[in-house]
Amino acid sequence: MNFIKRGLLGITRKKGKSLILLAVIFILGNLISGAISIQQATNNVESTIKERLGTAAMLEVDYEEIEAMSEEEWMELEISNIDIDLIKQIGGLSYVKYYDYSMSTAIGSESLESYQGEETEEEHIIWDGPSMEFTLKGINYAPVVDFEEQKGKLVDGRVFTTDEVENGSAVAIISNKLAEKNNLNVGDTLTLNNAVYDYSESGEEELIASRDVILEIIGLFEPQSAKEDKGESSDGGMMDFMDIDYQNTVYVPNEVVSSEERYYWEEYVKFDNDYADMLVEDDDLEYYTPIFFLNNQEDTEAFKEEVMPLLPELYLVVNASDQYEDIAGPIESMSKISGYVLLVAVIATVLIIGLVVLLFLRDRKRELGIYLSLGERRSRVVGQILIEVMIIGMIGISLSLFTGNFLAQGVSETMLEAEHDQFQEDMMVYNEFEIDLTTDDVLESYEIQLNSNYIVMFYVVGLLTILVSTVIPLTYIVRLNPKKIMM
Amino acid sequence: MILEAKDLNYFYQDGENRRYILKDTSASFEKGKFYTILGQSGSGKTSFLALLSALDSPHSGTVLFNEQDIKQIGYEKYRRNNVGIIFQSYNLIPTLTAVENVLVPMSITENELPEDKKTVAYNLLDYIGIVKSKADRFVNKLSGGEQQRVAIARALATNVELILADEPTGNLDEEMEQEIIDIFKKLAHEHQKCVIVVTHSNEIALQSDQTFSLKKGVLTADE
Ligand SMILES: Nc1ncnc2c1ncn2[C@@H]1O[C@H](COP(=O)(O)OP(=O)(O)O)[C@@H](O)[C@H]1O
Ligand SMILES: [Mg+2]
Repeated sequence: MNFIKRGLLGITRKKGKSLILLAVIFILGNLISGAISIQQATNNVESTIKERLGTAAMLEVDYEEIEAMSEEEWMELEISNIDIDLIKQIGGLSYVKYYDYSMSTAIGSESLESYQGEETEEEHIIWDGPSMEFTLKGINYAPVVDFEEQKGKLVDGRVFTTDEVENGSAVAIISNKLAEKNNLNVGDTLTLNNAVYDYSESGEEELIASRDVILEIIGLFEPQSAKEDKGESSDGGMMDFMDIDYQNTVYVPNEVVSSEERYYWEEYVKFDNDYADMLVEDDDLEYYTPIFFLNNQEDTEAFKEEVMPLLPELYLVVNASDQYEDIAGPIESMSKISGYVLLVAVIATVLIIGLVVLLFLRDRKRELGIYLSLGERRSRVVGQILIEVMIIGMIGISLSLFTGNFLAQGVSETMLEAEHDQFQEDMMVYNEFEIDLTTDDVLESYEIQLNSNYIVMFYVVGLLTILVSTVIPLTYIVRLNPKKIMM
Repeated sequence: MILEAKDLNYFYQDGENRRYILKDTSASFEKGKFYTILGQSGSGKTSFLALLSALDSPHSGTVLFNEQDIKQIGYEKYRRNNVGIIFQSYNLIPTLTAVENVLVPMSITENELPEDKKTVAYNLLDYIGIVKSKADRFVNKLSGGEQQRVAIARALATNVELILADEPTGNLDEEMEQEIIDIFKKLAHEHQKCVIVVTHSNEIALQSDQTFSLKKGVLTADE
């Protein structure tokens, strides 16, 4: 009849009280397990979505800070460029998997027909101004980061060589659709037209100068957007627009873009000398947009911290995963609510179970006094009560493990529906990362799971809570005086 | 000499004054004898027994068990290994059967006990007058006399030589009372226990080998 056996008998011989305690633990356990289920699901969403958002990081001017400036500050504002040396320095950091810096310009063509989407083929919008339907996108990273990051996929030919990038060779990779439309193949050449217009007077543009940009096609790519296979997708308009834009992008070495820029400005200055000082230094024409891809999602913060001090004033590091907050509104608010519920449930559990156990102990005062009068160690009397409560707790927790998880499914479905209605415009962020994840994607990846993570977490939190709530009334035992009780 | 009380002082603080319940009280007890401590209600009998059984500590003075200060032995340890206590109100655990109540101290004590504790407990109960069918009952299904027998068996279960009882027959009728007293006599005379019984009954005192009277905080040995 040692204290362990006494504890077990304490449960079975007082079934009524055991059942009351079990019911209380079960009810509170459901709250805790539900809250933990939702928390885990929201955490999972955060990590999977951030994973999908990728590890890209860019350097941006802090527009918020500029907007907050006074007029005087604003007048003196001078934003320096990020130069190539700095880009290379940052690219050399250990967090960086690979990086690129790019210079883009819009350009037209006389011989080439641009891709205008599948449906609009017939009703081609005729725009009789100077057409700049193509984007000349310079790259420095020869394998092309867009391909590495699955934005596009090389379907024919090859990527650039390092030599071609360094020498600024006249080679290009264009989209498969654009090639089909113009009957072009790898090995053929295409001709773009760098035209310099004057728009300054009368609104009528006037051609000042122009030259051909002749490029050899070395590869063909196809966009790899996740939305591609969705066909008639609901957010059609914007997607098509972005798709058409990408189909008309021509990848070339950076040097090709910068030499065309230089030509453009040189010709323009000949015409309008006001801009002459723009050409004082070669560098002034070189605005590169750097993009860095990190090895790990977890490195984001560390990378930011290391890079920030290197940047010129007013610049900041922006990560692709930063926009999680923008699209994950409903999930975030659920995560918050479930956090509060968890906190309240734990506190309520500690108080309620503490009170119930204390009441039961007072009822058993005489029994406890008897053990003490027989010379039982107080620690073992405490142990007996702990065994009784923890076994019932274990059963209650195990039952609510499933029911709470099940309840969480129902509750979060209702909550997400309600939340989703508030975020009706289906937040989607179009920014320089060109990532097409929407609130719908976020909600889709939300899933209440019954996995080992959750089970371990719940047992730890649940049993610890019960333990804490039992420890408080146990001080009652420590202060019992057997003489007063029994004599 | 198995038990000795030396210059025990015990008082309650009554405002500024100390109200002494025991004043320089000394007494000694031997094995094989049945002692009674006689006194009126409120005379301090229970207080004295609480000191002897280490359920309370004196303000000054010592209790020696086999020449050793029980404070040195450790009150808890003394209670679980050296003394069996019987209360007026039985103090049995109602959710346990009679035999289970007897088994409780057997798992608490550090004394050497036979391997088969359950058999020992049944035998002990049988010897005290509780047959097996009653030994398996929950104790609140037993009469007062039977409950007190279970309490005596519990006190004996740890194989101690010292039995202390606080008005053990206070709640029993005369016939029961005599049966219980007979058990105490047998324990002292046939089993060489030292039995100390606190009572307010002269009839019981007359049957003991030695009576101490407690009056106004002073303990005197009769004869
Ligand atoms: N907690 C207490 N505070 C003050 N006086 C007490 C307390 N407990 C008992 N007493 C007093 O101590 C005296 C002795 O009590 P007790 O030892 O129980 O006597 P007995 O067992 O002989 O009836 C009594 O007069 C009682 O009123
Ligand atoms: Mg008394």
